[in-house]
Amino acid sequence: MTLPSPTLLAQAILSGVFVGALYGLLGLGLSLSWGLLRQINLAHFALAFLGAYLTYQLATAAAIDPLATLLIIAPIFFVLGAAIHWLLSRFAVTPLNSLLVTFGLTVIVESLIQWFWTADYRRLGSHYADITFRAGPLFIPLPELLTFALSVVLCVSVWATLRYTDIGKAIRATAEDAPIAAAFGVNQRRVAILLSGVCAALAAAAGLCLALTYTLTPSQIYAWIGVVFAAVMIGGLGSALGPLVAGIVIGVSEAITMTLTAPSWAPLVSFSLLIVVLLVRPGKA
Amino acid sequence: MLRVERICVHYGAAPALWDVSLNVEEGELVCIVGPNGAGKSTLINTIAGLNRVTSGALSFSGRDLGSLPAHRFVSEGIAIVPEGRRLFGAMTVRENLELGSLAPSAKAARHASLERACAMFPALASRLQHPASALSGGQQQMVAIARALMARPRLLLLDEPSLGLAPAIVIELFRSLRRINAEGTAVLLVEQNVAAALDISARAYVLDEGRVIAEGAPEALLAQPHIHRAYLGLGTS
Amino acid sequence: MLFAAVALALATLPFFRLPAFYETFLYLMFHWIVLATSWNILSGYSGYVSFGHGAFFGLGVYATATLAARYRWPFLATLPVAALVAAMVGIVLGAVVFRVKRVRGELFALLTLAVTFVLATVILNTPIDGGPGVYLSAVPIPHIGATPASTFYLLELAAAVITLAIAWWIARSRLGSGLFAIHDDEDAAEVLGVPTFRCKQVAFAISCGLAGVAGGIYALFVSYVTVSETFSITVPLTVVLMSVLGGTRHWAGPAIGAAAITVISYTATAGDHVLAGKAAIGIILIAVILFMPDGILGTLLVRRARSMRAAPAPDTLPAKSADFPSPVRASPLRGSGARLLYLRDVSKSFAGVQALDRVDLDVYRGEILGLLGPNGSGKSTLINVVSGHHQLDGGSIVFEGQTVERWPAHRVARLGLARTYQIPRPFAHSSVLDNVVLTAMFGAAALPRPEATSEARRWLEFTGLSAKAEALPADLNLHQRKFLELARALASRPRLLLLDEVLSGLTPAEIDGAVRLILRIRDQGTTIVLVEHLMRVVMALSDRIVVLDQGHVIAEGPPTEVMAQAAVKAAYLGTGVDAAG
Repeated sequence: MTLPSPTLLAQAILSGVFVGALYGLLGLGLSLSWGLLRQINLAHFALAFLGAYLTYQLATAAAIDPLATLLIIAPIFFVLGAAIHWLLSRFAVTPLNSLLVTFGLTVIVESLIQWFWTADYRRLGSHYADITFRAGPLFIPLPELLTFALSVVLCVSVWATLRYTDIGKAIRATAEDAPIAAAFGVNQRRVAILLSGVCAALAAAAGLCLALTYTLTPSQIYAWIGVVFAAVMIGGLGSALGPLVAGIVIGVSEAITMTLTAPSWAPLVSFSLLIVVLLVRPGKA
Repeated sequence: MLRVERICVHYGAAPALWDVSLNVEEGELVCIVGPNGAGKSTLINTIAGLNRVTSGALSFSGRDLGSLPAHRFVSEGIAIVPEGRRLFGAMTVRENLELGSLAPSAKAARHASLERACAMFPALASRLQHPASALSGGQQQMVAIARALMARPRLLLLDEPSLGLAPAIVIELFRSLRRINAEGTAVLLVEQNVAAALDISARAYVLDEGRVIAEGAPEALLAQPHIHRAYLGLGTS
Repeated sequence: MLFAAVALALATLPFFRLPAFYETFLYLMFHWIVLATSWNILSGYSGYVSFGHGAFFGLGVYATATLAARYRWPFLATLPVAALVAAMVGIVLGAVVFRVKRVRGELFALLTLAVTFVLATVILNTPIDGGPGVYLSAVPIPHIGATPASTFYLLELAAAVITLAIAWWIARSRLGSGLFAIHDDEDAAEVLGVPTFRCKQVAFAISCGLAGVAGGIYALFVSYVTVSETFSITVPLTVVLMSVLGGTRHWAGPAIGAAAITVISYTATAGDHVLAGKAAIGIILIAVILFMPDGILGTLLVRRARSMRAAPAPDTLPAKSADFPSPVRASPLRGSGARLLYLRDVSKSFAGVQALDRVDLDVYRGEILGLLGPNGSGKSTLINVVSGHHQLDGGSIVFEGQTVERWPAHRVARLGLARTYQIPRPFAHSSVLDNVVLTAMFGAAALPRPEATSEARRWLEFTGLSAKAEALPADLNLHQRKFLELARALASRPRLLLLDEVLSGLTPAEIDGAVRLILRIRDQGTTIVLVEHLMRVVMALSDRIVVLDQGHVIAEGPPTEVMAQAAVKAAYLGTGVDAAG
């Protein structure tokens, strides 16, 4: 095992940061709905991919700028997210069963995606992909940079909303003690619908990033599940910044592992971390 | 102002309150005492909107509350200090207080209310940024009361505020309640600490096994054997 | 038996020389029956839903692939090794995970999923696979059937028969009763005498071993194995789907689900409707969880049971004491002054609140001890700590001469301790009778099932619940559920019975009945500690009273004496606000 050059290592760390930011963005919606709504939404990943495919479709067929497609897709997904939440709460589904129901939804969405777009690889050819910045010897492609920026902006915005606004405090209070929050005027149902809509809109944003930086194929939905769950659990359920930080840590660890050994060892990092976290700190963050 | 008329409340199939009636007038300090399992918590939670009434009427200032969803009670002017405090432990003291004043009218007066709360409970002023769970029992009770006061209620409900507190703190607590009542807020207090509750109340109800078994002025009640029998099992069987 | 006849009939299938297609189709069905049924043994019966069944399946696949392809072992010899490897890994994993109290439900599911990916990565990166996959095309297929297809058919049929037989046997055994109890309320099961850790370990090991066998056979069947195919998300999620569809509580449920899904998948892939078939499976899963959470078989059984119970039977009164002999085992002769239980210096705090503060307490044989105190004084915590529901922070508890404070709760129950819960915690999916049979089997009495059943019936009669023996706890009213708690506690023939507010919520008439019952229990030799708020009842029943306040013992002695003490009065009625000045 020869040590790679500092430049190679630095580039690997940089790409680890970028992919980690995407883990964080994907994990944000999942963490919020699990930690604050007690629903484990496995369909979050399928929704993200659906958003990615829709971005691809609108950008390719209708020649709309990919970033602008988010303005169309996000509101639609907001409604979708609220609908899924309504379904789960109407039937008083336990967290474990929400995992199973949303797995069913994932399979349905995956089939839909495959029906429309087939299993062929789809790559969004946007003008963003052509631009790459340089910082000394390091390459910074624009799509990855956009992903990073979007992730950070969204995570920080959500964090700030939860932290400083009344509605954010109401959400946190409801998650902790819903009846007493209601006794002080918090409309639980409205809060839940708002939150689940936002989580789905966040999935749309993650989908945009996926479309910009990755080649899409339906089966890839499952590849992200493990590592994002790891980021969510390590970062803490219900946290807005946690998944981002944890995601970046995981991304960088994976990148370093891949550079030092072989790419195929990468999953070991996140899953081992997940196991350790589950054993050592299994309760809610 | 508050009228509870012959209400029945059930937990599932089991009845918790039978045919209970009580009332609280503007600015009054009324307490409800009784042994454990008598239904005191159920009663006050129902008045706060946390339980549904199975039959009977609940009205406040003439408005019927029976069909109102729980989150609308606080804007009617009723705020509760729940049993066991039930603060939002992960949130700071300040945030807990802010959550008491979510309604628009209360929110407008938030700053003034906060100052009043800190004046009434000086220990809180220096702990506004601390997470609520880090405070002692007595301090948490102060936060819980202040939180309810932030809603600017016309009726303040308290469910066993002395629970788990040292006697000296209980005395302080009840003196605060007296002050709050003196400033114009009606208070309805559920307590197991009969002596302290009767000391500050204008009127009292005695609850046992889901029913009101006595009511009246404190001195009159203490003279009756009801309380001793219900609590200590002494006296004629 | 019907089952054996069907199995034999199926075994003769190859003789009909059907096209290989049928044998292969049935092979696949049996393959999923083995996987789903073995998964159900742990996850369905005990409620520990695992998303890691694919890991153990994969271990079996690679065990066979490595031994047969690389080390030229005869194929059949690799199967026991496949089972063993999978089972051992399961045992090691269980030893770590089952001890962590909070890893249950969705966390256990995630953890097992993570384990699958870790194993997959390790196998991919080590010489076991290394990347290109393993070819088994050179491995000779044993001549069990006339053709390879027949061979696989018969092998998998054998595996399916064995797996179903094991699942059936476990469901009827003590292990099964323990698992079902764990499913409904693990903490209550542990406190009532079920060795929960051991039950879960055994079930997990069997489940993994069987998955390993299915994996071994599959390796040769596909003859080329890769990590990504073997450890994909398909296996764990499909077995969950099949079991949930068929019904997880019944031994045959997963098999029915497996058969149904295999047929549906086949009819979908046969045509051009692969995607429609896939989407249909997703829809089915959602529909089942939302509308039929008990699965096909479960729902059918529940409906049948309900129609059989439709005729309402009247409540019987508790039997008069003259009617039947004392079943309680007499305590060893030590004289009635002997201490059955004593606590020294016991402390317990929760999140900063000192619930118990250096408590000393003695309980003498044959007495009824009333434990009183205002709300928050520590009474329930005391019961929880003595019964092992919570671990204490400091001090010692000696019961029947043994120091038990660090014992697992089920051992303390075996020694002769039983408790009721203030809010009844019956095992919701078991009948009233089975609830009581459980403690008769796992408690101090430790009876085998036939004797336990008659013992249980006796206690149901004692508490007036005989007519409700086949009912589910949800069909009982509060009074009956409290008595079920009592019957369940008594069936273990305890020497010490802890009653936690057993009278709360009862009407005055029901209370009188309960008081008579408690006196009869004491008369039969059981020592009782009674936590109660109803003053008149406590005064009437107790030989001695201990009063707690804020975690301390503040008084102890005969009832009238204690209640007249000033400290006790102050604890209950409080001190005045003005009095203290």
